[in-house]
Amino acid sequence: MAQYSPTVQQGLERMFEMTRGRFDLGWMDSNPVGWGHEAEPGPVGLGLRDVETGHYARVPEHGSSHGSMAPRGSFVPAETPSLDMYDLNDRSEVWSDNAALLYDEAVTRQWNSVTDVPWHKLEKLPDDIEKAVCQMCTNLTEVEFVAGDMPARWMCRINHDFHEVKLFLATQIMDEARHLDVFRKRALANGGGLLMASPGNEALLAAILQAPNYTTASALMHIFGEGFVLTLFRTGEFLAPTEVEKTIFRLCMQDEARHVAYGVKHLEYFLARHPERTEEIHHILDLGEEAIFRLTLEPQTLEPRAILAGKGVANIQLGMSKLAFLYNKQVREYLHRLRIAGLDRVPRLKIPQELPSLELAA
Amino acid sequence: MSGTLSFPSQAWFECMAEQMRGDEPRFRALGPVDCAMIVNVDLEGGRSTLHEVIFRGFGVHSVRELDRLEQAPDSHFVIAGPLEAWRDMLDNIHARNGADLEHTLNTLTLADDPLRVSGPDQLETDAFYRYNETLQRFFDGAARVETSYPVSPSRKVA
Repeated sequence: MAQYSPTVQQGLERMFEMTRGRFDLGWMDSNPVGWGHEAEPGPVGLGLRDVETGHYARVPEHGSSHGSMAPRGSFVPAETPSLDMYDLNDRSEVWSDNAALLYDEAVTRQWNSVTDVPWHKLEKLPDDIEKAVCQMCTNLTEVEFVAGDMPARWMCRINHDFHEVKLFLATQIMDEARHLDVFRKRALANGGGLLMASPGNEALLAAILQAPNYTTASALMHIFGEGFVLTLFRTGEFLAPTEVEKTIFRLCMQDEARHVAYGVKHLEYFLARHPERTEEIHHILDLGEEAIFRLTLEPQTLEPRAILAGKGVANIQLGMSKLAFLYNKQVREYLHRLRIAGLDRVPRLKIPQELPSLELAA
Repeated sequence: MSGTLSFPSQAWFECMAEQMRGDEPRFRALGPVDCAMIVNVDLEGGRSTLHEVIFRGFGVHSVRELDRLEQAPDSHFVIAGPLEAWRDMLDNIHARNGADLEHTLNTLTLADDPLRVSGPDQLETDAFYRYNETLQRFFDGAARVETSYPVSPSRKVA
């Protein structure tokens, strides 16, 4: 007879007991407070918010100390071992009241770059326009996945009791994968290719990835970075030379707006409970604002957009004046979002609220 | 195709809602929407109209004309502009069976001219971005409707 380890041997003996009708069945009555739960599907189906009611809606201010992946609302046996990996255990560190809503929205508003973009409508473009599109796509391919790497870095540290946040962040990672994928595809699909990477962008990406805690990382990425990118996507749709780019930017814009919405409501939730940490947020935004402004010194970042805005390299100056207007809009929306979150950034803003070139254009 | 409908009017927006219902698989593929859109059309002589379109799930929950913006729900965004701009957009959609590159909602609103988007706060305005594809398809319904407009003196001269 084969020799097994004590654990396997014990398991075999237990199975033998069961064949003789000796079952435990204790799990059946293990969670009386969570039993008898029902959920009513909403108008679009059964959303996360539809099931997280009653007992299951009780999100603790401090995540469970067992440190396991046991689901919130279940009975957790005393001997459940801790995974010793969750150190974001305070609800205020990660929570956003719209996380479940945004998760439902994200999973039902998914799209893909394979079939949802009318690639057959790509057309031969003037050389300067194709190069500008490809440079812009190179740039976006480079920066987009920071919003995948950043949540991935923190997700495995978030207490499992805050699964709404983890689920939402998972959708964000998928969104960013799609963005990286679709911008790379566009650069490679129409006779052009990838052009110049952006050393300047790396400083901002580093600030996001090296932020000292989740909330400062989120403020910098969700509100500042993605807020600016959201306006950039709107601009991309505005500047798009064909229906292909138009569709890409419109679809990406929707995703980005969800990420911004999470960030704003998370910061609001956090600052309402930790006003004493306002300075931390200001400090990380100081870094981000200066980093993004350094990008203006990089020809490969600004000039392609100016060419697209001017509809050709011959009108690049006109394009610059249009971009100045959009910069002002970016900053205005950024400041408004922070105000909703409870942060008055205007006195601390490190970059101009308006670009002087607007006056030149006028 | 429906008969001629006047824009802006409750009947016109209800017709768009009906088209959305008739094309549910396409809107279902875009995903659910949860927002209140107010369409503000500036007419000749300083008059303007306000129509509220509440989107829920995969379609329109309700349409109504408002006397003033304060009647709108707290959560809403407004798309506003002169009738001429709306007319150009809708005529373009009708002629091309969908907006061309110069006449999408986002293009027309990005520079706040000729249309502009605003809301009680930025997050409400952001709903316009979050659901933009669906909103675009909603207005693309104008391709299948004959639309008439209040007579504009400038158009008459032309």
